[in-house]
Amino acid sequence: MERQLETFILHLKRKTVAGSYQVSRATAEVLRHYISKEKWQNAQGLIEQIKAVGKRLIDAQPLEFCIGNIIRRVLFIIREEYLTMMKSNTNSDSASGAKQHTLLTYEDPEDIDYSESFPRLKASIIDGINELIDELEGLHRNVAEQAIEHIHANETIMTLGCSKTVEEFLKEAGRKRKFGVICVETAPSLEGHKTALSLSKAGIDTTLITDSAVFAMMSRVNKVIIGTHAVMANGGLVAQSGTHTLAVAAKYHSVPIVVCTGLYKLCPLYAYDQDTFNSFGSPGEYLKFEEAEYLESNVHSYNPTFDYIPPELVNLFITNIGGHNPSYIYRLLQEYYDPRDIFEDEQQ
Amino acid sequence: MTTILNKDFAWVVDRFEVMIKKESEVSVAIPAIKILTEVIRTSHATTIMGLQKDLEDATKQLKNCPFNQSISLSSVCDLFIRFVTRTSLDFPNFDQCKVNLIERGEQLSTKSSMSRTKISQLADKFIRDGVTILVHGYSRVVLALLLNAAFQGKRFSVIVTESRPDSSGYKTAIKLQAAKIPVKLIMDGGVSRIIDKVDYVLCGAEAIVENGGIVNKIGTYQISIVAKAFKKPFYVAAESFKFTRSYPLNQSDIESLKKESPNDFKVCQSCSNCEKLDLLTIDSPTLDYTPPSYITLLFTELGVLTPSAVSDELIKLYY
Repeated sequence: MERQLETFILHLKRKTVAGSYQVSRATAEVLRHYISKEKWQNAQGLIEQIKAVGKRLIDAQPLEFCIGNIIRRVLFIIREEYLTMMKSNTNSDSASGAKQHTLLTYEDPEDIDYSESFPRLKASIIDGINELIDELEGLHRNVAEQAIEHIHANETIMTLGCSKTVEEFLKEAGRKRKFGVICVETAPSLEGHKTALSLSKAGIDTTLITDSAVFAMMSRVNKVIIGTHAVMANGGLVAQSGTHTLAVAAKYHSVPIVVCTGLYKLCPLYAYDQDTFNSFGSPGEYLKFEEAEYLESNVHSYNPTFDYIPPELVNLFITNIGGHNPSYIYRLLQEYYDPRDIFEDEQQ
Repeated sequence: MTTILNKDFAWVVDRFEVMIKKESEVSVAIPAIKILTEVIRTSHATTIMGLQKDLEDATKQLKNCPFNQSISLSSVCDLFIRFVTRTSLDFPNFDQCKVNLIERGEQLSTKSSMSRTKISQLADKFIRDGVTILVHGYSRVVLALLLNAAFQGKRFSVIVTESRPDSSGYKTAIKLQAAKIPVKLIMDGGVSRIIDKVDYVLCGAEAIVENGGIVNKIGTYQISIVAKAFKKPFYVAAESFKFTRSYPLNQSDIESLKKESPNDFKVCQSCSNCEKLDLLTIDSPTLDYTPPSYITLLFTELGVLTPSAVSDELIKLYY
């Protein structure tokens, strides 16, 4: 098991397993394997072990938030299954779920001891994780199914970057409706080119524009549909660099911004500025080596990977469980994650 | 509207006075919970309803006493009575219930004393090296937060408003510079001028209302509007017992929350020389209401909440 973990961590570090979706699937499967193979006495011990494993995985790719999210989902599943078993065994209706996290709780959730062992706990946890993996597999389909309600005939949609979720969403709508898409090329990675190619192959009327043309074209756009790297706890986004510009231009023209994402990208952390969760890529993506010679040492070159978009700029989240307002995100957090799992595996 | 006070509970006021004077740093919740637990212990009631009546009488005494400086006292008492009702549903036997209530009451006061530490831990990540924070008024929670961060060795600076009419900003400034935090003192009117040098605004709250808005020292609303105009985050740090079941729609709706004592707003010389004194009125309220749309995040011991999450927490507390 240790060897399998090491291999996985190596894949993560080398980015051979990359992209939120792939990483989430792989993490969930590794954790399922871990829980079924490793020895653990009770829920408390298992939670500690998973947290330790989780810390190692997160260190391998710190900016890939979905690793942490999947681990938190698994921990929540463990706690829930334990409480269900405890309730059905003791048959008491006290401590109605681990959600009563208030000043006046009858039973302080921090005092709940997860140390009883139940024989069927392992099987039910594995079932829970299987459900999670099923949810991940059906993700793109569930999001795409809602496309018809949001895209109408003869609309102009603007999109940015290359997101599989958004592509599936638009292609699904394209099967039944006729509309146009404007793809922003998203320098320096130029991912917009891939999206434009893929959408036009699916028979959708596509226009490719440069990043600088976003504001100029925005007045013709009916909706902006984008993907994101992560959704933060206040409803803000950590998304591809260039998204903030798009969001501000859309706000100016009162164009609604719709974010298509799976729930696995929902992160219980807060980003307070542009630098909290950001990394800097190589300027070599846009600056040729030969040119750098002439720039001397007075020119600094930055290539940030992500943008932080505050929640006021986002209008709607379309997730695999339906459409939600950014102000509703806190509710989803409570339903899928446990507050105790947030403080421990903090980033940075 | 005169409230008839039950003389049997006059001792409650005296005890409260003693406790408040002894420890001024402690929030009002702890003495209140301790006193109400004491009321349960010494109560002669034999039914839950009798116990609740006793508690309500004691609460009325507390709310009317001259030492009721903060509106959070009312919310703590209401919460405690709610808590009693809730617990009583789990224990049909009265004597057992009473024992449990006393035990839980003691646990509650211990938990409340930990709330400031918890808030400091939760909000810790928001204070980073090099930030400039704007603080309004004197809030013990905010002070605990900032002192905790300074204790950890973080380097940041604070801008404090004077906070007239009681000039409580000076108290904050004294405490902060004693902890070796660089402090700048400004006039209340100078906020707009300094706001672009500020990273975010942090203030406490006297009460958190149902829609996620706050009731706080006069001037808070003004600062929140300026912060919003300059796109600076506006954070509020408060304990969860300050959540009240009130829903103000405008500024005049908060008048019912606190008895405004005759103001000690110092009138300038020229005003007292006015000829037509009946035409001159001085309006100096001590509180204002800040709507939730101006608040970015609330730091409570239940977690870091967005204003929309507050009503959810309130429902959990009260039902």
